[in-house]
Amino acid sequence: MAEQILKVKDLSKTYMQGKIPVNAVRNVTFTVNQGELIAIMGPSGSGKSTLMALIGCLEKPTHGKILIKDVEVTAVSDRELPRIRREMIGFVFQHYNLLPSLSALGNVELAMRFAGINKKERLKKAEYLLQRLGLGERLHHRPNELSGGEQQRVSIARAIANNPSIILADEPTGEVDSVTRDKIVNIFEELRLHGQTIIIVTHDPEVAKHCDRVIRIKDGTLSHE
Amino acid sequence: MIDLIIKNATQRKVRTILTICGIALGIFALVVMGAMSENFGQTFEKSMSLTSDKIRVFAQSGIFGSGLSEKKVSDVRHVAGVEDAYGVFVTLFDEDQFGMSGKQVLGVPPRKSRNVLEPVELKAGRFLTAGDTYGVVVGKNIAGEYGLDVGNTLELNKKKFTVVGILEYTGSIFDSYAIIPLDTAQKVYNANNSITYIFVQPAPGVDAELLARRIELSVKGVNTISPNELKEQASESLLIFSVVTISSAILAAIIGGLSVMNTMLMSVAERTREFGILKAMGAENKDIILLTLGEAALLGAIGGILGIITGSTATYVLNTWLASKGMVLFIITDRLLIIAMLFAIFIGMVSGTYPAYRAAKMSPMEALRHG
Ligand SMILES: Nc1ncnc2c1ncn2[C@@H]1O[C@H](COP(=O)(O)OP(=O)(O)O)[C@@H](O)[C@H]1O
Ligand SMILES: [Mg+2]
Repeated sequence: MAEQILKVKDLSKTYMQGKIPVNAVRNVTFTVNQGELIAIMGPSGSGKSTLMALIGCLEKPTHGKILIKDVEVTAVSDRELPRIRREMIGFVFQHYNLLPSLSALGNVELAMRFAGINKKERLKKAEYLLQRLGLGERLHHRPNELSGGEQQRVSIARAIANNPSIILADEPTGEVDSVTRDKIVNIFEELRLHGQTIIIVTHDPEVAKHCDRVIRIKDGTLSHE
Repeated sequence: MIDLIIKNATQRKVRTILTICGIALGIFALVVMGAMSENFGQTFEKSMSLTSDKIRVFAQSGIFGSGLSEKKVSDVRHVAGVEDAYGVFVTLFDEDQFGMSGKQVLGVPPRKSRNVLEPVELKAGRFLTAGDTYGVVVGKNIAGEYGLDVGNTLELNKKKFTVVGILEYTGSIFDSYAIIPLDTAQKVYNANNSITYIFVQPAPGVDAELLARRIELSVKGVNTISPNELKEQASESLLIFSVVTISSAILAAIIGGLSVMNTMLMSVAERTREFGILKAMGAENKDIILLTLGEAALLGAIGGILGIITGSTATYVLNTWLASKGMVLFIITDRLLIIAMLFAIFIGMVSGTYPAYRAAKMSPMEALRHG
């Protein structure tokens, strides 16, 4: 049996909207194996992004635990959190979230900066990753000079730059056409072939088809797997 | 990091330029005011080093005061320990300018002119002598401003005076004196025998401080200012001058700092999402603070350099122009430039602290959901 890289145990997150508590995630438990490509599906507002933020250590759960590679990341101190995010997580967002002032190369290289990698090595690796994702001709373009698909590929390159344990992609194909979508899904599949664990939030059954497993969420709770 | 800081600062060019101008203006004020204060301080120090051991005797002010007369001069002269005492009449050189130029006319007994001016030497000509009625000895600034040489004519209160001597340059108040005979001064300025103060030369070996006390006790209706008291008074006015000039300049610089704070708050608010991205990528709080503070410091530093360049240029131009009038008003010193530069960076960073703190304490997810 493959190693369980992610364990989510009885996870809950309650937001306060003014005085009204919103249970965005409720008692969620599941595990993900090393090298799995997982789809999370569910209606809008069902808590998918919240779940990703919790796994990515961008938010703290109200209740429950998350273990990544057997490290209980929900128990890690605030000071240590940035290191966990750098080393274990790679984010891909729906809106790409590239820094507008930096080139494609700059955006990818930036991710490695916080990891303390030296500049020469950063640039080498960033260039290599972008070339692998078919952006060799676009290294010095700024995000506003790139198409949506190209921007998403830059953000994938950025996400994998630090060799994270898990890639979390929140609706990565939400804003691109079907051709571009297929290209992006292909990239994820290829990464998976190299043993990369990936969780994709999506509304698109075409994307889900390519995944090993679909986790369905509704009103913050998992329906059935 | 510096490349990122520069990229951020150049994102909003107009705003960045305006902010830099705000700081530059403040530092400009600091340099100009500081240069004035430095000049004042140096003139003061030179004047102090030239102030001899003489005691000045003034009429007591208030209802008991009755002005000074030749009678008082002779009373003072008879106090034990006084070697010599004589009256001096002082008035503004150019009353229409309210003394802004700092130039003064000194009426002194002609034969005492050397003693009054001690230890300043002549550059040309001679001191006043008993026969001089409309003779004048001028300081270097006045000579420079009016292009005077010995034998030229200088008009004082519509009366023509012949220049008999020109003092050497001292960088002190002596450069701004025109010295004429006391009698003539009293006549020309319609002062009917009034005396501004009495100059007392203590006898050799007599302590000036003690002698000053003794004069106050033995002559009715007078106050004295001993050499030490004069120094104290002058130091005090120097201090007040410095405090007023420097603090108004610092105020200007602080207003420049507020413009940095405003810009940084705006830029932090606009880039909220960016900070969320950086945090999602694993940036530490110190990275965020470095970025924000670094940008503020950069704005401060550029503003500082600009303020120093414009301030130095302005004082240079003003000095060149004033030199034709025989005046020096500004001195740019190394320490002034260093202080101005450090202050610019300091102001930038202090103003950046709060925005940096705001950026750092944002929760990453909140920041990402933003806009
Ligand atoms: N910061 C927040 N404060 C309050 N409520 C929030 C916050 N973030 C999310 N929510 C609420 O939590 C629920 C789940 O949101 P989200 O995880 O974004 O859903 P999804 O990504 O599935 O559309 C929604 O009802 C949303 O309004
Ligand atoms: Mg969502």
